[in-house]
Amino acid sequence: MRASRVLLVGLRGLGAEVAKNLILAGVRGLTMLDHHQVSPEDTRAQFLVPAGSVGRNRAEASLERAQNLNPMVDVKADPENVESKPEAFFTQFDAVCVTCCSRDAMLRIDHICHKNGIKFFAGDVFGYHGYAFADLGEHDFVEEKTKVAKANSPAVEDGPGAKRAKLDSAETTMVKKRVRFCPLKDALNPDWSSEQAQAALKRTSSDFFLL
Amino acid sequence: MSVPVSGPLGSELAEAVAQARLLVVGAGGIGCELLKDLVLTGFSNIDVIDLDTIDVSNLNRQFLFQKKHVGRSKAQVAKESVLQFYPEANIIAYHDSIMNPDYNVEFFRQFTLVMNALDNRAARNHVNRMCLAADVPLIESGTAGYLGQVTVIKKGVTECYECHPKPTQKTFPGCTIRNTPSEPIHCIVWAKYLFNQLFGEEDADQEVSPDRADPEAAWEPAEAEARARASNEDGEIKRVSTKEWAKSTGYDPVKLFTKLFKDDIRYLLTMDKLWRKRKPPVPLDWAEVQNQEKSVPDQQNESSSVLKDQQVLDVKSYAHLFSKSVETLRLHLAEKGDGAELIWDKDDPSAMDFVTSAANLRMHVFSMNMKSRFDIKSMAGNIIPAIATTNAIIAGLIVLEGLKILSGKIDQCRTVSGNKTLIVKEKFAMVAPDVQIDDGKGTILISSEEGETEANNHRKLSDFGIRNGTRLQADDFLQDYTLLINVLHSEDLEKDVEFEVVGDAPEKVGPKPSEPTSKNITNGSDDGAQPSTSTAPDQDDLYIIDSEDEGHSSNADEAENKSLKRKLEDKECVSTKRARMEQTEEQDEIIALD
Repeated sequence: MRASRVLLVGLRGLGAEVAKNLILAGVRGLTMLDHHQVSPEDTRAQFLVPAGSVGRNRAEASLERAQNLNPMVDVKADPENVESKPEAFFTQFDAVCVTCCSRDAMLRIDHICHKNGIKFFAGDVFGYHGYAFADLGEHDFVEEKTKVAKANSPAVEDGPGAKRAKLDSAETTMVKKRVRFCPLKDALNPDWSSEQAQAALKRTSSDFFLL
Repeated sequence: MSVPVSGPLGSELAEAVAQARLLVVGAGGIGCELLKDLVLTGFSNIDVIDLDTIDVSNLNRQFLFQKKHVGRSKAQVAKESVLQFYPEANIIAYHDSIMNPDYNVEFFRQFTLVMNALDNRAARNHVNRMCLAADVPLIESGTAGYLGQVTVIKKGVTECYECHPKPTQKTFPGCTIRNTPSEPIHCIVWAKYLFNQLFGEEDADQEVSPDRADPEAAWEPAEAEARARASNEDGEIKRVSTKEWAKSTGYDPVKLFTKLFKDDIRYLLTMDKLWRKRKPPVPLDWAEVQNQEKSVPDQQNESSSVLKDQQVLDVKSYAHLFSKSVETLRLHLAEKGDGAELIWDKDDPSAMDFVTSAANLRMHVFSMNMKSRFDIKSMAGNIIPAIATTNAIIAGLIVLEGLKILSGKIDQCRTVSGNKTLIVKEKFAMVAPDVQIDDGKGTILISSEEGETEANNHRKLSDFGIRNGTRLQADDFLQDYTLLINVLHSEDLEKDVEFEVVGDAPEKVGPKPSEPTSKNITNGSDDGAQPSTSTAPDQDDLYIIDSEDEGHSSNADEAENKSLKRKLEDKECVSTKRARMEQTEEQDEIIALD
């Protein structure tokens, strides 16, 4: 994380929270991209724009307070529209997080990210509803797993010895795992006729269909 | 400029929000997130109280504070930061302890809602009682690592914070670790910090030296602030990291010993207020210790190595062990080259030796009985750092519960756990549970097959025809563990039991007592009796009330950590988490630090 450069699109309520969390955690660099201007509603939606910022570009207005969260992060503000950015723009980042984006824009960006091995996150908030999506491509990671101690059969061991062996074996091993994420395009267009999808349907929150 | 905030709130609720007066107790990890959320939701009348001053280790998550604020009052700076983005907020900040008698019942009565953002049991108990006395709803919360939880407490409607005995506290404020340890675990945590300060990655959250800014050390809160500022400025001038200092002495064990167990202790003794009600620590002198008689009989040295770990040695032996392990670790570090760092590993003998000896020496200094290497290893193995986003999530939940209360829907309030799982996973620490109703029909409530019974998660037990006396059979094939749960329901409320368990109050009557626990004997059988609360009509979902700063893990790995690896066959009575906690205390205790 300390070496990663992240692109954050959209500095409304959700964007500001993401910015805060990333900056506090300490990424290498965060670029905040937003072409909108601060509206009165925005001042009640997020905490990065200081009072009196109505009319300014949202990303630029958020810059100072965002940078103050952690001086060690290279925070930048970009006032352009994400839809006008060429593919080359995105490849300078290790991870991209989009909020307040149109569906088509998100699909396009996810496609670019997927192609270039860039981690993609999307999310948005609508009143009491919201969603988050992640497409990490082919993602390798390591998980710590405890070795489950096998119950020792009492057999010959003297009391204290056997008991201790059982208790002490709470060792952990690091297990490598790989998960393949599906791109946004597929997530939004599942084939509901397949059996697998039908089973999954039961578990799907109705919110999914609001999107 | 005041912008109507109604939006998703609806005008009635928005009005209630604008008028409400809130008290936020604590301006730390949860407090900062909470203040921000409250203000953005439209609450403008907020009193915030915190006795502490800002420390550099707070900056990675208490985002209302910046480096330039270190040493200043948390409540005060929090207020100033909020005013930066919402100048119309009407915030009153108190740099004081909530336990100060000035904050009496009358004081609490002014508020519509009280929200806790605390880090210790004593204050929580106190606020709990004050809110009951003043009959003001209280929203209690806590976090530990990735887990967290939120509980609503309202007199006459829900149970209170002290209704159930709580397991031992797991988060310890910095000043307890650095200045006033009272239990072995504080010393063990200190020793681990020390390891990192000397040999590993230095962390501002893991200071070991005496804390001059300890709010308890000052006679007045203002004095604490002055001390904090002074120590911060001092630090700026003389700040040499512990590691650098140690290096400059060549990691000389005697010098280290003298600093940690004599000089620093003497320094603590000058902070006289700390020792008014506590037994003061006794410094150790290296030379004196060396001259002590060996009090461990020699014959024990001949016993098998298997038993040696469980012995408690004497001070001289631990001093020797300390010296030896410092030497070894120094060599390890040197081998790794410049700028190297060691990573603490409980299975590394010299690292474990170091922590064992350092912790024990500190325990001895603070008049505690020393512990065996085995015990220390068990306790040292599980420590969880604080995570900023957990606090953010919990703060959000607090606000949501607050909104419910304001809309008059307190009956819909429920205890929310950071990770929602069904009872069997937490209480009985099952990993892949199967639960079915023991009525011959074998109706399946929960299936270990993923997804099979997810739809049941939101349904009430009564939906399945579960009533008083129904038995549920729960078993986990992975753990080979079977349990018969008796679901009980009780209409009577005993005289001495004041509070009921959280649940929906049916509209017809007042809060309907559905208090099963007192009838169900065993300590903390409340936990297992959870199913019974759900049998009350119009009952809420199966959410668990748990100890204050512990959330739950639905993560299978965590559940494995917590479970006892023993077979339980046809256990008829409800097993209790608390009982298990006591038994597993030595092994799998998870300890979190704020």
